[in-house]
Amino acid sequence: MTPDWVHPGLVLILGAWILPFLKGGLKKTAMLAIPGTAMFICFTMSTGSFCEVNFLGQELTFLRVDKLSLIFSYIFSLMALLGMIFALHVDDDTQHISALGYAGGALGVTFAGDLVALYLFWEFMAVTSALLVWLRREPEAERAAFRYFLVHVFGGLVLLAGILLHGHATGSFAFEHFGESGGIAWGLILTAFLLNAAVPPLGAWLPDAYPQASVTGAVFMTAFTTKSAVYVLIRGFAGTDFLIWLGAFMAIYGVVYAVLENDARRLLAYHIISQVGYMVCGVGIGTELAINGATAHAFAHILYKALLFMGAGAVIHMTGKNKLTEMGGLYKTMPITLGLYMIGACAISAVPLFSGFVSKSMVVSAAGEKELPWIFLTLTLASAGTFLHTGLKLPYYMFFGKDTGAKGAEPPKNMLAAMALAAIACTVIGVAPNLLYDHLPNSLEYHPYTLAHVTATMGMLGFTALGFFMLLKHLDPEPKISLDTDWFYRRGSAAFVALTVRPLARLEFGFVGEIYAFVMRRFVLGGASVLRAFDTHIVDFTAVGVGRLTQASSRILKTTVSGNIQHYGLIMLAGVLVLLALVMFI
Amino acid sequence: MSLLQRILEDPARFKRLKVVFYVTLVLIAAAEVVLPKVFHKDDAHAHHFDFEGWPVFGSAYGFVSCVVIILVSKFIGKLWLMRKEDHYDS
Repeated sequence: MTPDWVHPGLVLILGAWILPFLKGGLKKTAMLAIPGTAMFICFTMSTGSFCEVNFLGQELTFLRVDKLSLIFSYIFSLMALLGMIFALHVDDDTQHISALGYAGGALGVTFAGDLVALYLFWEFMAVTSALLVWLRREPEAERAAFRYFLVHVFGGLVLLAGILLHGHATGSFAFEHFGESGGIAWGLILTAFLLNAAVPPLGAWLPDAYPQASVTGAVFMTAFTTKSAVYVLIRGFAGTDFLIWLGAFMAIYGVVYAVLENDARRLLAYHIISQVGYMVCGVGIGTELAINGATAHAFAHILYKALLFMGAGAVIHMTGKNKLTEMGGLYKTMPITLGLYMIGACAISAVPLFSGFVSKSMVVSAAGEKELPWIFLTLTLASAGTFLHTGLKLPYYMFFGKDTGAKGAEPPKNMLAAMALAAIACTVIGVAPNLLYDHLPNSLEYHPYTLAHVTATMGMLGFTALGFFMLLKHLDPEPKISLDTDWFYRRGSAAFVALTVRPLARLEFGFVGEIYAFVMRRFVLGGASVLRAFDTHIVDFTAVGVGRLTQASSRILKTTVSGNIQHYGLIMLAGVLVLLALVMFI
Repeated sequence: MSLLQRILEDPARFKRLKVVFYVTLVLIAAAEVVLPKVFHKDDAHAHHFDFEGWPVFGSAYGFVSCVVIILVSKFIGKLWLMRKEDHYDS
């Protein structure tokens, strides 16, 4: 039983502020105890509504606990703990406070029972996550953080507008399913949710910012923003048909970019987009199985994607390189990192006995049950692409391939420990899927380990590997970047300025300038010369006249002021006599 | 020298590794055809579409997917998306 007032998100957000006051072992204990406490609260919560606050006549619910919010709170709090273990060696309180606050914001969004509380935590996540990019403290990262922040401020404003319109129209700010209305408020809220879920064309912020974040910050970022967006999509927009196609498109979109990518973490970032595509697709299908699939996949995805970012982060941390063209041959010096990374790679690639296999297949099966052959085929194709990049291309060029002389060594123990825990979680879920299935929002039976499913998956993975080795020379990463929709605000805005400046300049120098010159010469300068004449003739003359008058009168006065005491005495005596005469005779 | 390094750097062992890889692929493809036929008790609800029942569908689709993804992505990249690394700096 949870007391009414303990919000696990607040435990993280406020608890983080004790870190600057602690040192050494005590600080490290606190870094683990804070997310540990939040996790304990989440795991012991009972369902119901708590933390109800009356604010400006609105009943706000900060803790709505049901099966859907609970499963997301489990994974978010667990991820906060894993992330802190991974960041234990980092001596930067600001980063820790931001990271814990960010995780707390995600819990706040998860438990928000109304749209006002949702909005508060939504914006809080935007600020704290932008800080995680910013705090890598490099010019490139600061620029990326600024872009990231602007995009999310825009998203936040869209959300706020949607919430206000929705509240005005329905008279309630309760966060329930938004129905199939398709009105303006509906569209604005959906747009804001899709922006955070990184759905193209609104998703370019993700591969732009994540590779620029600090090594430990990026691990947090992979978990919370997109998956909390998936959560609100499930709650608010389950069964919205066009999300099926958008999700499937997204799954392919990430894969295409991953082929072209050279930056290790950007490649993984594009695979977040691809994986979230499965979840968005599940939300769109909207059946009980699909919603369970989207939820389970979000759960599994957070663990394996964090593990993959930890692996790539460990390599970047130890070698100082982030491009595949500058890595290679690291299997000799970083075998443990390689092994743990490969478990994450097996999980994301849906290899049987790993977590992705038991979660992804639910969404694909849901597409099958709804008789959507093209969605089924698209998602399966994206699966092959996932294995191709995360399971083959990235490890091949990072740990094997051509040795470019990047020197590596195993990362600090805490990093390996976090990776090992994530790897264990990925494997446990894969081996005993019911541990996860029992907590899914809809209770229904699902068996991923059918013979046909296992053999078909093994065939698909094996022959993807064959294709990879056959086309290996075409896959060599190139030191290039790929255009995404962030072009519109990175380059397009500059082009927009260039386009508008020229006509504006013509207007300014031509039309406005001419008017200015005319008015200036004719009226202002003309008027000024009149004023000047008045000034020289009247004002100056007066001033000079007053001066001359003063001078003349002072010359006369001077004769009376001799400085001689006898004269002054004589004048005073004369004055007294005059006064006496006046008194006596008048 | 670790085991992995010995296997990868010794040409004879590397060749053996390749053979193992190809043999595994053949076994996987064979398993996909044979096993569900032998133990077909879950066949009824395992397939949503007819094409899933085609022999070696998984293996073939995996291979085709891989090739299509690489070629199409590279084509789009070369034609349109890929730029120099300092594209946004100028």
